[in-house]
Amino acid sequence: MKPIRVLIAKPGLDGHDRGALIIAQALRDHGMEVIYTGLRQSALQIARAAVQEDVDVVGLSSLSGAHKSLFPKVVQALKDEQAEDIPVIGGGVIPAEDIPFLEQQGVKKIFTSGSPTDAIAIYIKQLFEGGTVQPPKKIAHIGIAVERIDDALPFYQHSLGLSLEAVEEVESEQVKVAFLALGETKLELLEPLSEDSPIQTFLSKKGPGVHHIALEVDDIQARLEQYKQQGVRLIHEQPKTGAHESQIAFLHPKAANGVLYEVCQPKE
Amino acid sequence: MSDYEKMKRTWEADVEKTTQRFPERKEKFQTSSELLIDRLYAPDKENDTYNEKIGFPGQYPYTRGIQPTMYRSRYWTMRQYAGFGSAEETNERFRYLLEQGQTGLSVAFDLPTQIGYDSDDPMADGEVGKVGVAIDSLKDMEQLFDQIPLDKVSTSMTINAPASILLAMYIAVGEKQGVAPSKLTGTIQNDILKEYIARGTYIYPPKPSMRLITDIFAYCQENLPKFNTISISGYHIREAGSTAVQEVAFTIANGMAYVDAAIEAGLEVDQFAPRLAFFFNAHNQFFEEAAKFRAARRMWAKIMKEHYGAENPKSWKLRFHTQTGGSTLTAQQPDNNIVRVTLQALAAVMGGTQSLHTNSRDEALALPTEESARIALRTQQIIANESGVADTIDPLAGSYYVEALTDEIEKEANAYLERIQKLGGAVQAVEEGFMQREIHSAAYEAQKRMEAKEDIVVGLNEFKVDEEIHADLLRVDEALERSQIEKTKQVREGRNEAAVEETLSNLRNAAKTTENVMPHIVQAVKQYATVGEIANILREEFGEYTGM
Repeated sequence: MKPIRVLIAKPGLDGHDRGALIIAQALRDHGMEVIYTGLRQSALQIARAAVQEDVDVVGLSSLSGAHKSLFPKVVQALKDEQAEDIPVIGGGVIPAEDIPFLEQQGVKKIFTSGSPTDAIAIYIKQLFEGGTVQPPKKIAHIGIAVERIDDALPFYQHSLGLSLEAVEEVESEQVKVAFLALGETKLELLEPLSEDSPIQTFLSKKGPGVHHIALEVDDIQARLEQYKQQGVRLIHEQPKTGAHESQIAFLHPKAANGVLYEVCQPKE
Repeated sequence: MSDYEKMKRTWEADVEKTTQRFPERKEKFQTSSELLIDRLYAPDKENDTYNEKIGFPGQYPYTRGIQPTMYRSRYWTMRQYAGFGSAEETNERFRYLLEQGQTGLSVAFDLPTQIGYDSDDPMADGEVGKVGVAIDSLKDMEQLFDQIPLDKVSTSMTINAPASILLAMYIAVGEKQGVAPSKLTGTIQNDILKEYIARGTYIYPPKPSMRLITDIFAYCQENLPKFNTISISGYHIREAGSTAVQEVAFTIANGMAYVDAAIEAGLEVDQFAPRLAFFFNAHNQFFEEAAKFRAARRMWAKIMKEHYGAENPKSWKLRFHTQTGGSTLTAQQPDNNIVRVTLQALAAVMGGTQSLHTNSRDEALALPTEESARIALRTQQIIANESGVADTIDPLAGSYYVEALTDEIEKEANAYLERIQKLGGAVQAVEEGFMQREIHSAAYEAQKRMEAKEDIVVGLNEFKVDEEIHADLLRVDEALERSQIEKTKQVREGRNEAAVEETLSNLRNAAKTTENVMPHIVQAVKQYATVGEIANILREEFGEYTGM
């Protein structure tokens, strides 16, 4: 497939281009072709460069406080050049309360200070490759809430004949877990270690039973960003450390018809 | 008598002399437990390493500071960079800061002024008054310093490509107040090389830009002997993403390029070098930053003495201003920035800075509000008055770690200086993009480390909270641009057009030859020729720099 072409531009007189240069480099590392305009570009120069270079998206950077005047002018100049189909995104020192105005003026998306470069790259990719979401690799495990692991184990070990792989305590979740291998996946028995444990809450509310399904993914960080961009409600926006030192995060059951999903990336 | 004894006696004699003019702040310094605090702590016996590398304060190679008593006599100058909107508004902020105990002024100009455009130039569209105050003509400058006596206050101006124009206006305002140019104190940034490298407000190509700088050196030598003619700046190099070592190395390399250019222009090193000033950044890694300042001071002293053969000790002394690191501030949980700024300011004080700007907590979002600017100033006042760190000279000296860091920074920075000299000096290295590439790759590596959480930034990639939108931000009135344009239009209508034409044409003629342009610029601003008009004459004669 043809790589996505991006024009990174500095409109106005602002000379701070550390951010613009870093984004340009990061997008190149994500396989995109990036053209950087250099400093002090007028809206017309940027629009013409976008057309000439046949780019798919224009990224603007401003740290001088002139974004409310400059960004809409670039959107307008693209229209004047019959190139309004090229989306414009922006970033820099932009107060959050200016974002609605800029979006209303036709800027597609604003990334404020502190946005990870991966999130920007994923956003751009989705603008053009929205349909090609990578599915998770497999069901990593099915989590089952139990009152006591010792009481539940005989059924799994003796009746089903599964072998116990490991038992460990996950401090952060106040939970003790037992893993039982089953084909390419596992069953995970979860026993609360204290009254504060989320498993205890689950048991009190619903009683023992299936608690969650864990899906194995690559690059959990990028995956969470992608879900977030799509408006999937997340319990954890940042991965945290789970059993076997894997990186884990939970999606909100409201995002998945009442099923609690965990995404996890095993330790390499 | 041993060398050590001799050095110590020289220092003691210096202290004697200095304290007659600048008595120490207190008769007796002591801790809360009433333990006496000595002026200086040093080895108690002969020590060759100490003699050679560290020495005594106010003595070559100045590792421990450039004055014999440092902050025991006087604190550093608390100089907060400020400016936005119109000259009247900024004048109000200046007077507020002076009332709050600030001891020097520092002017932020808007981008059109910094790049030599009047507010009505199409290039200025949307930028008027945004990152600093808009100055078009002497009229604005008169309002900016209204009721501020220029013989009492020293003023630092962050102005580079059009430095001669703003300096000329400052001279003219002084004269209107009855203050002779020879009485004016302050600093113009006037450091064009770092504009090509990192900050972006260049106008002309490197060669004529270097000539404008040496014209200022020569003019000030004659007329403004107390004014710092340049502030050789590592600040923006660091903000663009360099390491601490690169900051020192590239700044000193640029400094050497200015010294070379001035010597080439026929100036005597011991005449102009005492007026060179420096400007560094202070980031979060406390010990590295403190060591960085000490290393820079030692390097510059050696270079001036050994490489350039300067004989006046004033030429050896690296005097510097520090600003805390803007790029270390986060838009997330902005109050945490107060803590960052405190650490950074403390490092600058431990490094022996001559003046200091502390950033405001909201600067990752917008220009500081009055309240934020006050907290930033109070941070310095607390360090000075409450912490006791200023009660003895260079308290970190002799720490194994800090001295080792100082040595290593010097060594690594010297390695860079050698590479730059091989490329033909800083001007050549800038034109080839060498420093720009080194800085960019350091910046990208730092970004990747942060995104991989190898480097933790509190509130940004760890220890995050859900935040409300920060609504209490300073906004520059959008109507300002129109009123500023109107004001400049009236200035143009009210001035003597023939006199303006004449001074501008004299300036053009001087620019064509090697005659010093400064006196002509002073004449032009007095006739209310605008920043844009003067800059455009020079654009026509010198050409414009269009980037790499």
